[in-house]
Amino acid sequence: MIRLDDGIVALFGDPQAVKVLGTVDEHGAPHVVSKGSLTVLDDGYIAYGESSDSSQTNRNMVRSIWFDKPVTVTVIKGGASYQIRGKPYKCVITGPLLKEFLLRARERRGPDADVQSVWIIIPDEVRVETPAVRREEEAKKRPYFNRHLERDALV
Amino acid sequence: MAMDNNELNLAEVIEKYPDVPRFIILKLDLQLRGVKLTDRALEAVQDDRYRHSGISLYGTEADKASPKAAPGPAILRDGTTVVYTPGNESEDSYVIDNVDGKFLILDGEAQIEEVDFSPRPAYYGKKTSRGVPMESVANARPQRLDITPYRYCHFWDTGHQCKYCGFFTDLREQRQVGGAQLIKVLDPEDAYETVKEALKEPGRFSQIYLTAGTDYGGPKPFDNEVGRYIEVLQAIGRNFKSRRFPSQLMAPAYSKAQLRRLHDETGLVSYCPDIEVLDESLFKWICPGKEKWFGRDYWVRGALDAVDIFGWGNVYSNIVAGVETAQPHGFKAIDEALKSNLEGCEFFARHGVQVLAVVWKPWKSSAFRGQKQPPLEYYVRLIKGFHDIKRAYGLTPDSDDYKHCGNHGDSDLARLD
Repeated sequence: MIRLDDGIVALFGDPQAVKVLGTVDEHGAPHVVSKGSLTVLDDGYIAYGESSDSSQTNRNMVRSIWFDKPVTVTVIKGGASYQIRGKPYKCVITGPLLKEFLLRARERRGPDADVQSVWIIIPDEVRVETPAVRREEEAKKRPYFNRHLERDALV
Repeated sequence: MAMDNNELNLAEVIEKYPDVPRFIILKLDLQLRGVKLTDRALEAVQDDRYRHSGISLYGTEADKASPKAAPGPAILRDGTTVVYTPGNESEDSYVIDNVDGKFLILDGEAQIEEVDFSPRPAYYGKKTSRGVPMESVANARPQRLDITPYRYCHFWDTGHQCKYCGFFTDLREQRQVGGAQLIKVLDPEDAYETVKEALKEPGRFSQIYLTAGTDYGGPKPFDNEVGRYIEVLQAIGRNFKSRRFPSQLMAPAYSKAQLRRLHDETGLVSYCPDIEVLDESLFKWICPGKEKWFGRDYWVRGALDAVDIFGWGNVYSNIVAGVETAQPHGFKAIDEALKSNLEGCEFFARHGVQVLAVVWKPWKSSAFRGQKQPPLEYYVRLIKGFHDIKRAYGLTPDSDDYKHCGNHGDSDLARLD
């Protein structure tokens, strides 16, 4: 497990940030969905509330925890973007954490909102996906790879 | 009993069946071998977060043996529920300890997996307006409320109880228990008030489940208990604005008229007449009461007829998986036992009925005490086969899944469907 730095943790709590969860189905097809409830718990694990146990995301998460497959969480705001790879650690089906996520969902979306499970993910790698940072890194590694000539042309 | 499969241990079965989740294989083994808590773990579950009722469905010996309360069902990290019952442990049982605030499953010295327990619900410790403790009215599983309107099975009156059964029995006296400790007949108003209180805890429950001992009395056989179930379901239903509510009744096979009453006069969604054992000749030996009232064909017919009323996929039937190998009359080779079960499962699935497997535990208070269970690998092959069959017929166990019953490995596999 890696500890997420404070800046990334803060992004999870920022209401302007976009948070998405990436999973894979039984055929290897990626499935990427927005999950506003994604948050970092006090112990550094990532968690989100699953509103429907029959969803494709939920089935993919079950497959991942059962067969030790990774998932990704991406958090984006303005130009900054971070992709966190991790593995599902726990599926919470009852108890205080489920209740907490449920009540929060009902505060935001009304009394008919539901959270049927809370998934906890252990982060094990962070990739900075901020475009400017990615470009600079790639350019440093392979300065002449597919670089368009007119970028360096005179006039 | 001679088995034609080698008895592989947990790690060997997990390695041999990489397409079956290790959590589910572990669950099956926990149910097969039993679970005991260390003193430290037992102390930890006396905490208000975990402490459950001392009154269980399966016997009072364990309840009386210790002043400490047992916890609710165990929950593995992936959300799999494991129902086990104290009082039937052996030398070979797994152990749950509490180490640095975490519950751990141990096999000897080896740490197998983390585990938690279903939390104590908020309604426990409260009483109805008639002064009845609510936890004696409804027992809590992780997401299910279990209500038992009648704590007695009349098959025992004439010695016709199912041979594997230990319901409501006193382990020492080998008979059913009555007395002030257990309320035999539930007052429907107590059910209404208890469910009302339970619903105040957001996110705690998503199904209501009823079962009871068999009462074949009445103007027509089973009329008394059908009437009782209707009264209790109607009382429970007063808590909901919807006509129907997520619910299941596990009960004997009834006539079509009785099924129609249950469906039309209550909010019941799902019905489960347990066939217990799929082989025709073994049914007669193992379930003499069901054979007497009114034989296997009647029980099969009851399930099939119920599909016309409750709908495709809303009728279930449990088997006590493994009891088909009880001796001297049961299968002597597990391939034969497996074949019998898979054929039976397919028959029912073709008609829209979901057969589910419960791991057989030879209760000390049952006629089959001391019998040898099939090996773990049998159960893994069985649940795979059951799941594959039901999936092929488009059947998903919405009313009997991993969160609610916790008894069926084949239901657990359906989380991917």
